[in-house]
Amino acid sequence: MLGVSSGSSGGGVGPEDLAQLQSTMRAIELACSYIQINTNPAAAEATILSLHQSPQPYKACRYILENSQVASARFQAAAAIKEAAIREWSFLATDDKGGLISFCLGYVMQHANSSDGYVFSKVSSVAAQLMKRGWLEFTPAEKEVFFYQINQAILGSRGLDVQFIGINFLESLVSEFSPSTSSAMGLPREFHENCHKSLEQNFLKTFYSWAQDAALSVTNKIIESHFDVPEVKVCNAALRVMHQILNWEFRYSKGGTRASINVFSDGIRPDTGSPRKTECVIVKPGASWCDVLLSSSHVGWLINLYSSLRQKFALEGYWLDCPVAVSARKLIVQLCSLAGEIFPSNNAQMQEQHLLLLLSGVLPWIDPPDVISKEIEEGRSGSEMIDGCRALLSIGTVTTPVVFDQLLRSIRPFGTLTLLSMLMGEVVKVLMANSTDKETWSYEARDILLDTWTTLLVAMDGSGGNAWLPPEGMHAAASLFSLIVESELKVASASATANEDDADCLASVSAMDERLGSYALIARAAVDSTIPFLAKLFSDRVARLHQGRGTVDPTETLEEVYSLLLIIGHVLADEGEGETALVPDALQSHFVDVVEAGNHPVVILSSSIIKFTEQCMDADLRSSIFSPRLMEAVIWFLARWSFTYLMLVEDSNLGSNQLQSLPSRACLFTFFNEHNQGKFVLDIIVRISLTSLMSYPGEKDLQDSWRNLANAFANDKTLFLLNSVSQRSLAQTLVLSAYGMRSSDASNQYVKDLMAHMTSSLVDLSNNSDLKNLAQQPDIIMLVSCVLERLRGAASATEPRTQRAIYEMGLSVMNPVLRLLEVYKHESAVIYLLLKFVVDWVDGQLSYLEAHETAVVINFCMSLLQIYSSHNIGKISLSLSSTLLNEAKTEKYKDLRALLQLLSHLCSKDMVDFSSDSIETQSTNISQVVYFGLHIITPLITLELLKYPKLCFDYFSLISHMLEVYPETLAQLNSDAFNHVLTTVDFGLHQQDVDIVTMCLRALKALASYHYKETKSGNTGLGSHASGHTDPNGVFCEGILSRFLRTLLHFLLFEDYSTDLVSTAADALFPLILCEPNLYQGLGNELIEKQGNPNFKTRLANALHVLTTSNQLSSSLDRLNYQRFRKNLNNFLVEVRGFLKTR
Amino acid sequence: MSDDEHHFESSDAGASKTYPQQAGTIRKSGYIVIKGRPCKVVEVSTSKTGKHGHAKCHFVAIDIFTSKKLEDIVPSSHNCDVPHVNRTDYQLIDISEDGYVSLLTDNGSTKDDLKLPTDEALLQQIKSGFEDGKDLVVSVMSAMGEEQINALKDISGPK
Repeated sequence: MLGVSSGSSGGGVGPEDLAQLQSTMRAIELACSYIQINTNPAAAEATILSLHQSPQPYKACRYILENSQVASARFQAAAAIKEAAIREWSFLATDDKGGLISFCLGYVMQHANSSDGYVFSKVSSVAAQLMKRGWLEFTPAEKEVFFYQINQAILGSRGLDVQFIGINFLESLVSEFSPSTSSAMGLPREFHENCHKSLEQNFLKTFYSWAQDAALSVTNKIIESHFDVPEVKVCNAALRVMHQILNWEFRYSKGGTRASINVFSDGIRPDTGSPRKTECVIVKPGASWCDVLLSSSHVGWLINLYSSLRQKFALEGYWLDCPVAVSARKLIVQLCSLAGEIFPSNNAQMQEQHLLLLLSGVLPWIDPPDVISKEIEEGRSGSEMIDGCRALLSIGTVTTPVVFDQLLRSIRPFGTLTLLSMLMGEVVKVLMANSTDKETWSYEARDILLDTWTTLLVAMDGSGGNAWLPPEGMHAAASLFSLIVESELKVASASATANEDDADCLASVSAMDERLGSYALIARAAVDSTIPFLAKLFSDRVARLHQGRGTVDPTETLEEVYSLLLIIGHVLADEGEGETALVPDALQSHFVDVVEAGNHPVVILSSSIIKFTEQCMDADLRSSIFSPRLMEAVIWFLARWSFTYLMLVEDSNLGSNQLQSLPSRACLFTFFNEHNQGKFVLDIIVRISLTSLMSYPGEKDLQDSWRNLANAFANDKTLFLLNSVSQRSLAQTLVLSAYGMRSSDASNQYVKDLMAHMTSSLVDLSNNSDLKNLAQQPDIIMLVSCVLERLRGAASATEPRTQRAIYEMGLSVMNPVLRLLEVYKHESAVIYLLLKFVVDWVDGQLSYLEAHETAVVINFCMSLLQIYSSHNIGKISLSLSSTLLNEAKTEKYKDLRALLQLLSHLCSKDMVDFSSDSIETQSTNISQVVYFGLHIITPLITLELLKYPKLCFDYFSLISHMLEVYPETLAQLNSDAFNHVLTTVDFGLHQQDVDIVTMCLRALKALASYHYKETKSGNTGLGSHASGHTDPNGVFCEGILSRFLRTLLHFLLFEDYSTDLVSTAADALFPLILCEPNLYQGLGNELIEKQGNPNFKTRLANALHVLTTSNQLSSSLDRLNYQRFRKNLNNFLVEVRGFLKTR
Repeated sequence: MSDDEHHFESSDAGASKTYPQQAGTIRKSGYIVIKGRPCKVVEVSTSKTGKHGHAKCHFVAIDIFTSKKLEDIVPSSHNCDVPHVNRTDYQLIDISEDGYVSLLTDNGSTKDDLKLPTDEALLQQIKSGFEDGKDLVVSVMSAMGEEQINALKDISGPK
């Protein structure tokens, strides 16, 4: 049989053609089979590629598709059709385009009942891709022809197989039109957008109802059957298409308002940044979908279908996880998250009815929880129950807690919250029973349900404490919380003796923090019972510790106390993240009948914990009870708690609401403030901190007692045993505490006393005549390192009040620092500490200094830079060990960063200056130092090094700052250094990091505007750097501004970037255009010429014209013009990027 | 302890080659003696025996002379030996045929007892600069009775 007559465009085929076609087919078949058995794959691939790339291969491909017995050859033929057609599309006659699509469609439908499914999906997706390619040129009538055919297929008139194929084609088509799954065609972004819009507005709903009809047409057959019937396959496909369509990114649903297209980066669904693990996409198809989804009893049908499927699970061909059941459940869960304008705003009942219907369908999956969980533990699949949990999460996402709770009441004697609590309680129980093996259904279910609670409660938590759960919901939350705590404690005591793997531990800490945060929300939903409950648990455990002291191994109880401290810490206080965390609303607004602070449950709980922690100051108790791990939790708890509760300042701005006047709130607020227990508690906390620093030196991790700490710090060597970060922060804390002293004199004296010992030890050491030998001794290295860490800590704590003392501290060690820099030139760890100290000190001091002091500091930095560079430029480390060589590189990199920071800080003197002298008297020219520094540093900076993000950031912030403030300095650099700097800027422009690109753009703006202003007033500006020059070989090198104009235009028009960059880029582009108007004209014309499409040509020409003329843009570089140009550029890009950028 | 001043004492010729230091205070890129060899620490991690136990330090270190990797585990409150590592710079005067270098000391005499590295790559790094006529300063690292050239610097001035 020769299938040639079925082609619509082909006429007769001669015998020689036929021979030709057959030989092509053989060649391809042979190549495919070679690839399969992996014989000479390169040659085989070349053969197949030649088919893909040959012009007009359609006839051969058709021939292969219709005649070949080799499935992979047919697959390759389909792929070749697609590739060639996309490539040659604009040369194809309209008839041929349509012909190819109908051929593909016809092909899949004719061969619907044969095997080799992957060939059919390929052909069907080729049809979908070609259909999209021609979408905007086909007339409605032409499309109608195709869709009539497809609709007929889906209606089932041509048999089940064809029906299945038709539905499958819809799936390919929808996925091809959806931005995240579409395939590349080399066409403007606008094209894809228009297709997306057209499909959404004119076809999507129709497709959905076709799938609905198809599913309906087979429903009865499935329900009545007692075994696996072929109709199931059609039904499953239809359900999948419906799910896919509802997953569509609906953009044009809001009555006519056109959602703006993001022309700046590829259209991938933005990350919502929600902290939840389980994804719940809200489906918002818009008002027009009401008839299809809601009023057509679609949901009822789906629920019925699934419940009849459930009854068949025992039968042959059906089971809980059979594809059709999975698809049906997915669709049900998805419909639970339906929201938006599809529910008319004047009919609130409608959404509730919709959700109730779904909930009643879902209920058998999860209710009664105990029975179901038992069945799962006995071997049933957990996926239905997990889908049920997902449905609850979806419902929770689109409703308020009150509505959520009400839903169930019409069909059960209790609310949905109670069900949620029971369900999660059951899951927690299962988890408790087998806590050892991970990755079971109960873990997943627990996470989803916890997310559901979080979703419901987060909205309430931020509502100012006015929204409470209904009483029954509160009860549900309370009983769930006690179960959760019980299970956490059980897990804790069981794992107390286990050795945790470090890596495992780190990963689980953040997960645990998240989980504890969610538990805290549940606890706060029912504080009336949860707070006393926690207090009781805590005192129980403490009593147990004391009773068993010396006789029983306390490890398990210790771990329980550890867990309890973490849980209570989360319930009582929020994490501040740099801001002062307020007392949680729920704790403020409940306990209304409490008038005496001593009876306030929060006060009772807090006090009992503080009383317990206080015992760590007793040496006996410390050794028997307070293990390092427990101490960690104690300190963590105290830090978190005191941040929120200790020394609260009664701020009248805090609450303008009625709650302010509640007596219970007032007593909670005042109890731990200055006039009440606050001082006492603060004293305890400081003494505990001191104890923990002194007694746990080998373990890692504010006024009587404070003085002790300060004294110990200054004089006691045991504190040298602390690790370096603690040294630094301890010094910082101590110096900061001076801020609270009454007078500035007292503060300065305190800092002086605190640090005198350190500075004098450095001075003594550096004056020692045998410094060179002495310095190499390990104990001296350690002493110097510790002292430097402390000086650095103190320097970073500079405040206006203590600035004087810290300036003097730095001044007194200037010479020692330089001498040590010399002595320790081989001890890179010490060098780094020296540099970091100077960096922090200069940063803290510079803006306060008077002119003569500034000069001293500048000279000091200059010497420092010179000594450093004389030791390090040209040095090579010799070692066999690659680890040590890498270490040496890392050390150099860290030094370099420190130097960059130092230069940046020096630059800032010209920006922020609190000194009393006026600008004119400024005797030192900072730009000279920075210029010198740049000379030292640029040879050390390589493009390789700039790949390290932190260094890259520091470097570019220095460069952009330099160019903005001292553009003339750059012009003075010799051409090597100058070019090096600009190469790095060019490199920076192509980075991913928005901050880096922004800084480079600012540098460019500074450079171009400097040049423009200078040349306008008759100066040379950047001189030959800008005008370009002819190199010794007679080749003309373009000036740097021209180069950057090209780069920037290319970047703006063709690359992906964030919208945030547009304004900064406009600021750089504007002066560049003014500097190089001729080149700009040329580039514009070139761009216009390149456009093949005459329509695009005119649009581009207009846009370019408008860019430089609209909004009364003139050629002066003032604020107003910059603003105008920003607007122009934004409009310009929105207009042209749609067709310039292709996909 | 808190009252007495620290006095800086210079070590004389017979001074001990190592110094005791608490394991918990030894950091990455510090020095440590493991199995009698002076090493540079490249990795420190701490672990515990059971959750409420005390910490132990796990050191990974590289022998500064042989570049061999060594490891050790020490309770964080115990003492470790830290080697006394000294480095001295000398100007390179000559490289002899038999594999020794001739170095100029601070007081003007020469030091001729130091052997060149045997590794071909390192040797080449030293030789090539010397043969180009550059002024080279070598830095010699010594610890626990051994010494070796460990760095090289061109002081001929800018190119």
